[in-house]
Amino acid sequence: MSKSLKYSVLFVFLMVLFLLDLYIGSVEVPINEITSGLFTGKIDNHIWDMILFKFRLPKAIVAVFAGIGLSIAGLQMQTVFRNPLAGPYVLGISSGAGLGVAILLLGFASFIPMAFFSNWLLVFAAWLGAALVLFLILFISIRVKDIMTILILGIMFGAVSSAIISIMEFFTTEALLKKYVIWTMGSLINVSESQLFIMFISISIGVAISIFSVKRLNVLLTGEQYAYTLGINVKKARYLIFISTSILAGTVTAFCGPIGFIGIVVPHISRMFFNTADHRHLIFVSALIGAIVMLISDIISQLPGSDSVLPINSVTSLIGIPIIIWIIIKRYKFSSTM
Amino acid sequence: MLSIENLKIGYRAKSNDNILLENINLSVDAGEFISLVGKNGIGKSTLLRTLVGLQDALSGEILLNQKSVTSYTIQELSKKICYVSTEHVQIPNLTVFDFVSYARAPYNNWFGKLSNDDKKAITESLELTNSQAIAHRIYDELSDGEKQRVLISRALAQDTEIIVLDEPTAFLDLANKYEIFHLLSQLSRQKNKTIIFSTHDLNIAINESDKIWLIHDKNIIEGMPEELVLNNVFNKLFDSSNLVFEKEVGEFIRSRKNEQIIGLQGNGIEFIWTKKALLRNNFQVECNKTHELNVIIDNKEKLNWILILKNDKFVFASLKELLNKLNNCRHE
Repeated sequence: MSKSLKYSVLFVFLMVLFLLDLYIGSVEVPINEITSGLFTGKIDNHIWDMILFKFRLPKAIVAVFAGIGLSIAGLQMQTVFRNPLAGPYVLGISSGAGLGVAILLLGFASFIPMAFFSNWLLVFAAWLGAALVLFLILFISIRVKDIMTILILGIMFGAVSSAIISIMEFFTTEALLKKYVIWTMGSLINVSESQLFIMFISISIGVAISIFSVKRLNVLLTGEQYAYTLGINVKKARYLIFISTSILAGTVTAFCGPIGFIGIVVPHISRMFFNTADHRHLIFVSALIGAIVMLISDIISQLPGSDSVLPINSVTSLIGIPIIIWIIIKRYKFSSTM
Repeated sequence: MLSIENLKIGYRAKSNDNILLENINLSVDAGEFISLVGKNGIGKSTLLRTLVGLQDALSGEILLNQKSVTSYTIQELSKKICYVSTEHVQIPNLTVFDFVSYARAPYNNWFGKLSNDDKKAITESLELTNSQAIAHRIYDELSDGEKQRVLISRALAQDTEIIVLDEPTAFLDLANKYEIFHLLSQLSRQKNKTIIFSTHDLNIAINESDKIWLIHDKNIIEGMPEELVLNNVFNKLFDSSNLVFEKEVGEFIRSRKNEQIIGLQGNGIEFIWTKKALLRNNFQVECNKTHELNVIIDNKEKLNWILILKNDKFVFASLKELLNKLNNCRHE
């Protein structure tokens, strides 16, 4: 299969899943109403109109954004740390973003009236939290070369973030706690239209930086020494990639809560499907496959035929973990046997 | 084109620096093929890393075309010097072609789009190392010898005047070692590339290099391999007196206890290998002289070894039988 055919297959698959995600839910809306509704912008049946435009469409779009954001963030982490098991969730970046949000919602909210906190502040808090963890990991990775140690440290950062959040939960007021707990439930549903706009802009910026860094990513993959002797400023390249990763993982975490394993699994599927390590392809392929996997997870979480909805995080874990175990068994390894 | 003046290298530390080499003064002409030899941990890699700019010198100057390398930006330097490290590159799904194409980074745009010049350079560099056939295979799945050839292609694609390689022949079997040496020396002659590399394969280095840099006592002894042999420099490579550089054969041998003197008469290739076998068995071999113990190689009609032990005479059809007899006599 040629590369352009593979892209087309992925794109068609994405479109079909997107439609399917709009169609599946506890209330049955006829598929032809949905498709015509998408083109005309309204459905005559008022309830169906509400369901499609206020509920299912935003949710599907958020799924696509979350898939793109987490997958590219994961791809970049795997490349920079040259580690097949790196990803925003394992490295504690999502936890860092969560900590940022917790400090904002539980800490500052005690002193400043809630109305003051706009959605942008929420995102910034998540970005800062994610960046904090990333740079801590970078700082340590300069001294500790062993990739497994770095992964364990990432898990520890995650644990520290959770511990701090627990302490804050203990001391905070009931009202703030409720708001925070709802956020941690992590779902694609709670995103309002104005938040969707912020998400669109943030993810676009993150992806744009990633595309801009494509050559640096390729060269960094072959190792720091080669990157440097090819005239690449390694430090600058890392900062650029970390900023992009913080924005991508932070934004998704800010609006959807912590979603695990997409960031690890999708880049692997992309590499295998395209049989390439070239980021000029991998960025786009990971974005497409990431969106597809998130849509599939969302469809599964709807439990077709039932009224209940599963937490999206459980679904991505159930899909992701078997693939990760398979990666470990296959001893899928990146460099660093120095 | 490259000159090194009063260079001091090592690692900076808070109290006192860990100096590996100092007072280094060397010069390199275009197209020279230079081997860097020395014990493990003596500073070979550090010197090479300092040359390519991966590490700062403690003091002194490295001049590239009469200009200090520190005055070049890393982008400028990446078009002059390239580096092949010892690090294993293990990247899933990385094709040979892609790997080599990344070496065009100094020449192409932000997206890494390959121009026609880039593509030509990549194809040519793959051809020079005879790697065209494996261009579309996954790098990680190649044999060690193929990988090393790809790494050299990668270096060639970077199109620099100087190529610095850290132990390109480590991990290779003997045939591949010779092949890589041959390939590198050919490139230096045909393409006028200046090639500087570290190695532990001294015998091959002596035969192939234009110049040897031998690290001894925090300094570098520079010279043509033949001159260094004649000046007894290679014995400095090892502290232990058990290894001696044998000038006639151009290789290191273990110094022997030489318990017993034996006379050996004969000629041709049989003589050389019989001598080797006797030396290995701790005999001191005297050529064409008669003592109480003598071996005569008779290769007139049929190859025979004749052992004359005092008044007895024994004839052996193989070297192994001769040595068995000699060892038996010694134990009696």
